[in-house]
Amino acid sequence: MSCNFCAAHSSLIIESMNDISFTNDILPLKDKLYRLALRVVQNHEEAEDIVQDILIKLWSQRSGWHRIQNIETYSMTMCRNLALDRMGRKEHQNIPFDPAVHDRPDTTWQPDEVLTQRQQIESIETIIASLPEKQRTIIQLRDIEGKSYQEIADVMQIGISDVKVGLFRARNKLKDKLTK
Amino acid sequence: MNYQYIEQLLERYWKCDTTLEEEQILRSFFSQDNVPDTLKPYASLFAYEASNIQDTHLDDEFTRRVMAAISDEAEERPTAKTVSLLARIAPLFKAAAVVAVVVTAGTLSERTMQMNSATQDDADMMANDTYIRNEDITAKIQIIDRHKSEAIACTDSVQSQPATIPANTTELTED
Repeated sequence: MSCNFCAAHSSLIIESMNDISFTNDILPLKDKLYRLALRVVQNHEEAEDIVQDILIKLWSQRSGWHRIQNIETYSMTMCRNLALDRMGRKEHQNIPFDPAVHDRPDTTWQPDEVLTQRQQIESIETIIASLPEKQRTIIQLRDIEGKSYQEIADVMQIGISDVKVGLFRARNKLKDKLTK
Repeated sequence: MNYQYIEQLLERYWKCDTTLEEEQILRSFFSQDNVPDTLKPYASLFAYEASNIQDTHLDDEFTRRVMAAISDEAEERPTAKTVSLLARIAPLFKAAAVVAVVVTAGTLSERTMQMNSATQDDADMMANDTYIRNEDITAKIQIIDRHKSEAIACTDSVQSQPATIPANTTELTED
């Protein structure tokens, strides 16, 4: 998984375009990468582990950064691929959906209304978690990270039409569950 | 308040026809407190979408750990030095390889030459053998020839003195 870009991408690379710094350009992606990894593997520790591995791997590839056209897309592709890899391994162990994703320790007192809102948000989390990985990831990238169809297609290495189909299915499943 | 615009946007959102900006408008709208009851079922979805970024992040401890791992990796230069050291003695290997090639080639050519001279010797010996055998044969032929001529001489003398034998025979019988 050294290079996640196809030949068409690499031909578009403009050498002098970027001057990437780890602390300015790569490290700030950590939360975005974490949210993506978490959406794929649905386990906090695993997602954190994946992001750490990706950041260290990116650092070790620093001599090749100048060849990367879009470091964010590149990192996110790497992140999802690694997450899929880890998820594939975990699936054999049949680990259930991690409740820790939703049950964060919270000692602060909250009014009833806020609590119900929290519960509602948690129910959305559960619905999204029940979607297939592709649809979960598309929802994450589109509706949470606010990415264009092209960017999502690049990160997921699929066609734009596949992105739209996946998003349509995911949103309509959410709609169905919410209106029931 | 008229929510027709929001309802329209929502309809297009389900069809995946909204732009990123329109989706942002929906998230902003549903994040406020006064959402009409007809739209309430969807409020939690957009509220979730809007809050997920703030709610899900890695802490400073994570950053500290990654930076420590990276500086460790950066300090692992001795490994890189070992490589450069290896690279530095690489010409020696090259020289050794050249020497090995020359030596091998030398040994090989020497052996070939030895083998060539050995073949020459063999040929000489064989030729010698053949010569000796030829001489032998010639000598034997000469001996045979000699015996042959002796035999012919004998026969001739026997034929030239046919009378003497009966006479002798007579003499013998008379004795």
